[in-house]
Amino acid sequence: MAELKLTSARKSFGSIDVLHGIDLAVRDGEFVVFVGPSGCGKSTLLRLIAGLENVTSGEIHIDGERVTHLPASERGLAMVFQSYALYPHMSVRKNMGFALENMGLKPAEIEARVARAAAMLRLTDYLDRKPKALSGGQRQRVAIGRAIVRDPKIFLFDEPLSNLDAELRVATRKELASLHAGLGGTMIYVTHDQVEAMTLADRIVVLNAGRIEQVGTPLELYNRPANAFVAGFIGSPRMNFLPAVVVSDDGTLRLTVGEVEVALPRPASGLAAGASVTLGIRPEHIEIAPGDGMLAAKIDLLEQLGGETFVYATAPGLPQITLRQDGQSHFHRGDAVAIRFAPDHLHIFDAAGAALARP
Amino acid sequence: MSDTSSVSRPERGRGIGTLAELRSIVTLPVELGMRLFDPPMRWVQRMIGARRMAYVFLLPNFVFFGLFVFLPIGINIVFSVTGGTALFPSQRPYVGSDQFAYLFDCGSYLDPATCREDHFWRAVANTVKFVVLQVTAMVLLSLVTALVLNMRIRGRGFFRAVYFFPVLLSPVVVALIWKWILQRDGLLNAAITTLGGQKIIFFVDPSWAMFWAVFVSVWAHMGFYTLILLAGLQAIPADLYEAAEMDATPRWRVLTHITLPLLWPNMIVVIVLALIKGAQTFDEVFVLTGGGPGTATLMVVQYIYETGFSSQVQNFGLAAAASVVLGIVLFVLTLLQFAAARRKEI
Ligand SMILES: Nc1ncnc2c1ncn2[C@@H]1O[C@H](COP(=O)(O)OP(=O)(O)O)[C@@H](O)[C@H]1O
Ligand SMILES: [Mg+2]
Repeated sequence: MAELKLTSARKSFGSIDVLHGIDLAVRDGEFVVFVGPSGCGKSTLLRLIAGLENVTSGEIHIDGERVTHLPASERGLAMVFQSYALYPHMSVRKNMGFALENMGLKPAEIEARVARAAAMLRLTDYLDRKPKALSGGQRQRVAIGRAIVRDPKIFLFDEPLSNLDAELRVATRKELASLHAGLGGTMIYVTHDQVEAMTLADRIVVLNAGRIEQVGTPLELYNRPANAFVAGFIGSPRMNFLPAVVVSDDGTLRLTVGEVEVALPRPASGLAAGASVTLGIRPEHIEIAPGDGMLAAKIDLLEQLGGETFVYATAPGLPQITLRQDGQSHFHRGDAVAIRFAPDHLHIFDAAGAALARP
Repeated sequence: MSDTSSVSRPERGRGIGTLAELRSIVTLPVELGMRLFDPPMRWVQRMIGARRMAYVFLLPNFVFFGLFVFLPIGINIVFSVTGGTALFPSQRPYVGSDQFAYLFDCGSYLDPATCREDHFWRAVANTVKFVVLQVTAMVLLSLVTALVLNMRIRGRGFFRAVYFFPVLLSPVVVALIWKWILQRDGLLNAAITTLGGQKIIFFVDPSWAMFWAVFVSVWAHMGFYTLILLAGLQAIPADLYEAAEMDATPRWRVLTHITLPLLWPNMIVVIVLALIKGAQTFDEVFVLTGGGPGTATLMVVQYIYETGFSSQVQNFGLAAAASVVLGIVLFVLTLLQFAAARRKEI
């Protein structure tokens, strides 16, 4: 159990800057997820924390102690690798007990700890097998077990579910959540999958191109994305982004969107007339209005999933808009419809992509 | 848009064109040959069917193999069960297992002096001694070298090349180089006398002669085995070492519990290959020491060579019998190597 603090942590490989100064505090017992597109530096950040890479500059503290230049072996952290990195020549029992042997624990103590972790992870019957005689999901659990037995200060996970099939991924995700509830350790988890991030995290750190875009609880990020990147990354299907031009901003924000003008009652935020902004609206916050709406649109495509329907529609002068409807839709391809945005759920981003404060 | 693409395309095209031209010059003779063989091959295939065509392709190699490997083995076996001094098998009287009985006629196998063919048994004893020393030294040294060359050190590529270089030399060249260094007025003695020491005449002392035979052989072949072990080391996934680091594994335990167990299949291959090569040792040692002093470095293959070809007797039968014995030993070692290689695949 421990807390972690990163101060202006930078990392370069040669002349390539991968992380541009990360400031982050992780509280004791917290489940923090680093999420971001592939190549944004999530693994590198995790490996900096682990001690497998050295920071180029900046500081790392664990429980108030400076560990910036401590080797991985002395930081007392455990890591679950994407590849699992199980020792192929050792049995499951040996794999899980190896770190404990290194610590010089008594065989009886090792056996007890391994047995406890194995029971927790349903591996008891497989303790004498080699990793190659296990399924992907079982190997994954051995990798987690190897971390658990050590009772580490912090658990680090690097995309631990990405080698599992979709069904197993969902099941293991739930197990991880209950594991965290049971163990209560500090966990840092890397993924590129925003659904994993939303479902597992106490707090999410959204990374993009080596920078933190936003830190917050899953719903904070969903409800109040700080910028267009976070807004687009969190939520599925993706938020719709519609280019708009400010007409006036004096207690009511008037915008030209496509070929229509919309009026949004909201406090003035100092936008000049003629400024370009981006209107963000999630598919679940758009409805097809029976009579009048904001925009007249035509349905390009419907995806009927039974429990919900995704509708793809175009309005003149705008990119394709995605809508989500509960249940099954009675509309058809080619239908002309009026669509309406739920005004409470509209996001407005300035030209630089930063979100305007929401009322 | 279209302008830039029409400018850039021929540029790129030309680059590829030159490479393709070069390649076509190299492959032209091959292609011509193929064209030449194509019609008759097609005709054969029509006659015998595609399935049997495989044997047609195997035939040339099989003929060579048969002519230069299996036929000599057969002739050798014929020689080993016949006697006399005649060269043509048809003129040699059949003697059954007499040659083998003569070879194996010993008071005690542990003491060559009690054997009728004491030279053979001295050669066997020398070869065993040589193989044990050479294989032990070579495996240990190539393991250490591979471990060092696998580390991130400066000039790693250079050292890898340096260690592999002797493998490219012919054994006779290797032996001659070292002979120049080690002989009475060689480089080493020049160095010793310059430093004020006494000349050592290495090749009159049985222990020194054996030492240098082993040393030169290890020097010549170590690079090859180092390469095999290096390949094995590099096949160990890097993330295992990271996992070991996270597990706070002390360095010596990383070596004994991760590196060596995972390298073990390669080690077995190296050991067995080195045993096979060691048992066949002839040229290097023969050129270096001539088998001497006396019979101190006489190896089995040298015994066979001298018995069959260079002594006044030219006892083909006895030499052939000794070859059969050596062949059986090598065959067993080869089976071992196959077994080791198969274990590696699993
Ligand atoms: N050892 C390295 N040497 C050079 N570049 C690296 C190294 N490790 C990672 N990178 C680069 O750093 C960037 C971030 O990598 P990574 O942290 O693995 O991304 P992510 O895990 O978010 O997909 C990538 O552009 C990658 O090419
Ligand atoms: Mg990664």
